[in-house]
Amino acid sequence: MNSERTLFGDVPFRRFEYDDHVVFAADVGPVDDASVDIVDGTIIVVAGDDQYEQELPAGVDARAFINHGVLTIELSDPEEEIR
Amino acid sequence: MKLTVKPLKQKDAGRGLAAIDRGAMDEMGLENGDYIVLEGRQGNRAVARVWPGYPEDTGDGIVRIDGQLRQEAGVGIDDSVSVEKADVNPATHVTVALPQNLRVRGNVGPMIRNNLSGQAVTQGQTVPVSFGLGPLSSMSGQKIPLKIAETEPSGTVVVTDSTEIQVSEKPAEQIRGGEAAEGRETPDVTYEDIGGLDGELEQVREMIELPMRHPELFQQLGIEPPKGVLLHGPPGTGKTLMAKAVANEIDAYFTTISGPEIMSKYYGESEEQLRDIFDEASENAPAIVFIDEIDSIAPKRGETQGDVERRVVAQLLSLMDGLEERGQVIVIGATNRVDAIDPALRRGGRFDREIEIGVPDKDGRKEILQVHTRGMPLSEKIDLEEYAENTHGFVGADLASLTKESAMNALRRIRPELDLESDEIDAEVLEHLEITDEDFKEAKKGIEPSALREVFVEVPDITWADVGGLEDTKERLRETIQWPLEYGSVFEAMDLDAAKGVLLYGPPGTGKTLLAKAVANEADSNFISVKGPELLNKFVGESEKGVREVFSKARENAPTVVFFDEIDSIATERGTRSGDSGVGERMVSQLLTELDGIEEMEDVVVIATSNRPDLIDSALLRPGRLDRHVHVPVPDEEARRAIFDVHTRDKPLADDVDLDRLARRTEGYVGADIEAVAREASMAATREFIASVDPEDIDDTVGNVRVTMDHFEQALDEVNASVTQETRDRYEQIEEQFQRNEPGMADEDRVGRTFQ
Repeated sequence: MNSERTLFGDVPFRRFEYDDHVVFAADVGPVDDASVDIVDGTIIVVAGDDQYEQELPAGVDARAFINHGVLTIELSDPEEEIR
Repeated sequence: MKLTVKPLKQKDAGRGLAAIDRGAMDEMGLENGDYIVLEGRQGNRAVARVWPGYPEDTGDGIVRIDGQLRQEAGVGIDDSVSVEKADVNPATHVTVALPQNLRVRGNVGPMIRNNLSGQAVTQGQTVPVSFGLGPLSSMSGQKIPLKIAETEPSGTVVVTDSTEIQVSEKPAEQIRGGEAAEGRETPDVTYEDIGGLDGELEQVREMIELPMRHPELFQQLGIEPPKGVLLHGPPGTGKTLMAKAVANEIDAYFTTISGPEIMSKYYGESEEQLRDIFDEASENAPAIVFIDEIDSIAPKRGETQGDVERRVVAQLLSLMDGLEERGQVIVIGATNRVDAIDPALRRGGRFDREIEIGVPDKDGRKEILQVHTRGMPLSEKIDLEEYAENTHGFVGADLASLTKESAMNALRRIRPELDLESDEIDAEVLEHLEITDEDFKEAKKGIEPSALREVFVEVPDITWADVGGLEDTKERLRETIQWPLEYGSVFEAMDLDAAKGVLLYGPPGTGKTLLAKAVANEADSNFISVKGPELLNKFVGESEKGVREVFSKARENAPTVVFFDEIDSIATERGTRSGDSGVGERMVSQLLTELDGIEEMEDVVVIATSNRPDLIDSALLRPGRLDRHVHVPVPDEEARRAIFDVHTRDKPLADDVDLDRLARRTEGYVGADIEAVAREASMAATREFIASVDPEDIDDTVGNVRVTMDHFEQALDEVNASVTQETRDRYEQIEEQFQRNEPGMADEDRVGRTFQ
């Protein structure tokens, strides 16, 4: 299933649901010094001086990375949602 | 690795993304955002960023890219393309050349960088860049072709935030790019530019692309490949666009015939022109001949007056399926009057398939909006989903003009900043151009669905909250009209057909029309209001045609609520009247067949109101036609209280006004009477106020005025109950009659009789 949602306030994300995991992806455009990290169940995106945070559902393995302007968040459980 | 090319969803197009299925991604060790090189059969290369593959593709070896990338790599849909991971360096410096006719002052570098950022570019490549609107908004599309004049480091580079963008002195036209740019052009219309017609597009492609690309498939099956496709549907739904896209994507020779052009005043020349076009096409096979508005050159032979038309049709018939082998020439015809075409054309071997391009549904409309807003600088607050939801009956062309109008609104906002005298426009102004939600809302007010234009009415701004009392009546209406649209799945599971029509009956002034207005507003459907006498026409047969047209419009634009006010005027009992040459009777018959005929009324609900239901033809009132009879009674005390509430909601009432007492004292008053009472009371207060206050102080003291109980007393003296003993008796009779007729009305007691 593909659907859309916005995370971090107003960044439009696409949701891709696979058999064993779910992927949220957004094309944020290349920001030179952007980085993304997961700390204590919270995704933190740092771009320049700005910082965005998003809570993760509890008890889910997550992976997040940003690569050439494509921000990806992967959750291990396809049923999970980020709100 | 070889992957199969598929089209990208409209949403993701235009950003140099390639959605690769998960299986292939794992195999190649790719991550989202990595750069890849796509290489087509002719060695054309395109660079893209990896985007998560669509879940439905997993394991099928599929790469989804948009038309832009397909063109660059020289591949079409279902072709295979080799995909490799690419190392792309960030550019430190890029020089771009603007087209000659673009005049922008100031530094456009940052804006171009914003547009290009993340894209991979090669020297000599032409990149379409959306500049917002600006001076070129009248140019086709909103994209401006930029040419990459020079990059540093050389080779394929990616534009980043720190890339320096310089605008070349020489215009784009004078720059001869690297060898890769030879003969390459940005596509006009690609499959991604068509929204909401996936099914239809697939059908057309299967009819046209397959036989052109792989004729051997048809040989193997021992069948003749299809020769023609006829696209039909209401104006503005995308028939021509689809033909253009197909021609563009399969790289076939494309020629169009536009009806009036081939007509000539000389004997035989029109036919000759047709022959020439087909000859030319077969010389350049594979080719597509596109005949737009085919009804103009191929009308029914029996019905045309001119000799020329008849011969042209005959010529067309023999060209399409004559003795001579036509080869790989496929004809696409487009028309919005499919029934006006000569029947001989509409058979296998000529137009093998007829594809209807209908009015788009909600999802289709969303895709179309996405296509049209792709190049626009939209404010983040705009929710396209919401606009898709409340634009029932809009076709592609309407949605396009919606987006265009909102862009024009944005433009109007910055107009004062523009210096029209100067030749160039400040780059900073362009950068600030943004389309807001207000621009969209404003634009939507001005645009009505083109298919409904003749019968369109502004949906009234009345909600259920504006209807006082009548709770049970409201509930029944909601069940009948809103539920089938909102809970379609439940109705399906219960094998329940939605009611086709509702008759609201009751004494005058009880709020029947008001209810219909509220339904129109709340049902989230298109609303057609029919005023009975309007349908009458002096020509025989035309009045019935009016009825027919109303319903065919309603069907085309479903979900629709068709509203007949005072239906007793056009649907009187048959066989009782003479002297109007039977027009009335024939209209009733037409209405009967429309409501319960062979043609299914999908998502079309009829609401009729009448205060003389006893005059209506009984066949119209049986189940299957106006099967729900909703009674709008004279309000009881409780209801009168609610009606008083509605009408005094925004009036400044004094503390001594006791609405309960008023409700008790207004026995026999209907909604309209109560409204009049409230109005008269305010008027009395106003009269008193204006007479007593110095005109100069009016503005200061108007806040202190109150409508008191005395004013209401005066109003009650003036307004009398409109229901008399006579009406009372008559409605009691009618009601009894209706209760007998309708077994489903066992709960009549609950709904309430006219008089309690």
